[in-house]
Amino acid sequence: MKKFLAIIIKETRMLLRDKIGLSILFIMPLVLIVVMTVIQDAAFHSISEEGVPLLFVDNDQDSLGISIGNGLRKSPLCSFSDHINGKRATAETAKKAVSEGKFMIAVIVPENATKRIRASVEDLVGETMGVEAKENARAAADSVEIILYIDPVAKHSIVATVTSNLHEFIAAMKTKLMFETFSAQIGEIVPDGVSKPANAYEKTQIISYKQEYASKLEGGVIPNAVQHNVPAWTIFGIFFIVVSVVGNVMKEKKDGSAFRLHTMPTSYSQLITGKLVVYVTVCTLQFFAMMLVGVYFMPVLGLPSLDLGDSYSGLLFLGIATAFAATSFGILIGTVAQSEQQGAILGSLSVLLLSALGGIWVPTYVMPGVMRTISEFSPMSWSMDGFYKLLFRGEGFFSTFVPGLKLLAISCIFLLGASLFNRYKKRA
Amino acid sequence: MEDPIIEVNNLKKTYAGALEPSLNGVSLKVKKGEVYGLLGPNGAGKTTLISILCGVVSPSAGSILYHNLPVTDNLQQLKQEIGVVPQDIALYPTLTARENLEFYGAMYGIHGEELRSVIRSWLDKFELSHAADRRIDKFSGGMKRRVNLIASIMHNPKLLFLDEPTVGVDVQSRTKIIEQLTELNKNGMTIIYTSHHLAEAEHFCDTIGIMDAGKIIANGAPAELIGQTADARDLEDVFLALTNRKLRD
Repeated sequence: MKKFLAIIIKETRMLLRDKIGLSILFIMPLVLIVVMTVIQDAAFHSISEEGVPLLFVDNDQDSLGISIGNGLRKSPLCSFSDHINGKRATAETAKKAVSEGKFMIAVIVPENATKRIRASVEDLVGETMGVEAKENARAAADSVEIILYIDPVAKHSIVATVTSNLHEFIAAMKTKLMFETFSAQIGEIVPDGVSKPANAYEKTQIISYKQEYASKLEGGVIPNAVQHNVPAWTIFGIFFIVVSVVGNVMKEKKDGSAFRLHTMPTSYSQLITGKLVVYVTVCTLQFFAMMLVGVYFMPVLGLPSLDLGDSYSGLLFLGIATAFAATSFGILIGTVAQSEQQGAILGSLSVLLLSALGGIWVPTYVMPGVMRTISEFSPMSWSMDGFYKLLFRGEGFFSTFVPGLKLLAISCIFLLGASLFNRYKKRA
Repeated sequence: MEDPIIEVNNLKKTYAGALEPSLNGVSLKVKKGEVYGLLGPNGAGKTTLISILCGVVSPSAGSILYHNLPVTDNLQQLKQEIGVVPQDIALYPTLTARENLEFYGAMYGIHGEELRSVIRSWLDKFELSHAADRRIDKFSGGMKRRVNLIASIMHNPKLLFLDEPTVGVDVQSRTKIIEQLTELNKNGMTIIYTSHHLAEAEHFCDTIGIMDAGKIIANGAPAELIGQTADARDLEDVFLALTNRKLRD
């Protein structure tokens, strides 16, 4: 026990002496979560608040064109304009402006679009009611074509969101116009004394939507950039301890301390456990610091505060289990690597790879099938799963058992791997 | 004849992937209380032999007896009773001399007041008391070598391995180190020592083993070896006669 304490004291002293290294261990992850959260929040707001730059060309100048124009003006997804450099946009200038990246989308409503829809409805009513149809009315209606010009540089997901909303909106406008025309036509042909259809379109609006997040958290939880990013980048920050642990192990190998320690009556497991205790403690402190930043510092930047959920014990358990996995991984890499440079590259790249696979950069559910399967083997993915259970789904301490135990199990495997490699090196 | 403290029989070691063996059948006996000098050109296998003798590297073949018992059966006892001074300055540069010694002392099972007292005593003997609380990375090469030595002798080992303990130090530090080692040997400590300072070895060692290409090619007291070699005036002449003048990389 005294030897074990001596190892802990030595490791702690070395960490505290390396003031730059220590500040990097704490400051870099904190900067990382703040920067990544602010960037992702800004990306979210650029669509939802400022909107996608959209150019509108109304060649119809009638009900359909005016309705679509008014609707787009009010849409939060769009930053509306119908002029280019002070001149009213045309189909040609709109296409050129989009191709030059001045607008992300241009919407062109063709000439006589309203008249054609009306003619089509008149034809339909006439056919239904046995009244003579106007010539070529249906053919004209079928050819109404609203053109969308899209900037090829624009991100597909953003374009898809906007165009989908646009399609829905245009379809609704078209339907409304058809109902109005239909009502007017019916009104003209029904005999006097028979009640005429009024507000027919409004009467069709019988389906409404209620949207709610299915969380057990009291008062519900509102997913936002802070709630998503702080846990994700906290896990990434904790795993970056790998670089520091690798450096520590490699330095001991390089300066001969590891050789001297192997000649002493001290077991490898004692030496490794001492390191583990110190670095897990550092990671746990990092974890607390990052959670506190989420709760108290994010609101200072105008972002929502991190909601820690209902189970602090679950959070602590997951934080410590993640710290164990990260430190053990660092010990394994440090043991296997043959030089400081190799260890540093292997350590940092493997953390980046594990984070990409673990859903830190993009959620695992958007990954292709094979990658999603592979991601299930990333310790960061297990950690994310646990945090999501606590912070989004409102589950309690016991929900963290599976991800937490998986993390502790992989820690044991990493340490066993390091120990076996150490034995192999002795015999090699 | 007095029982050897350590006896090596036909020791062989070929590292994984290596074309040539590093040790190719080394046999030697070191008597209790002896200073045994292991000399040889670069790549002769001296460091490999010491690494195997102190239990850090496993041999490919051969046996090692410590107090007539196989090392494999009592490795923990061996590790408790030996001290190893590595070729590198195996100290933590950001810790002070005292902190380094506190740590290594604890690894040998010395704790509390006993540890503090031992550290004070050794720092005093090596004239380092004034720098006890200075970080190792602020020490001169000679001071580092002295602390490097203290870290391996503070538990009073029965057998001390020294892998080039005076390399890169000034004459004053070297003299101090050799003086202290001589004192320790007088008090019964057996020493196995490697060096490229042949004059130092000639005066310091009771027995010399000259190694080349993973084998002991000569073994005996310095005077014997000089006497057995034609035209040799000192150990350097013996060394060159046995290992030739070809450069080793």
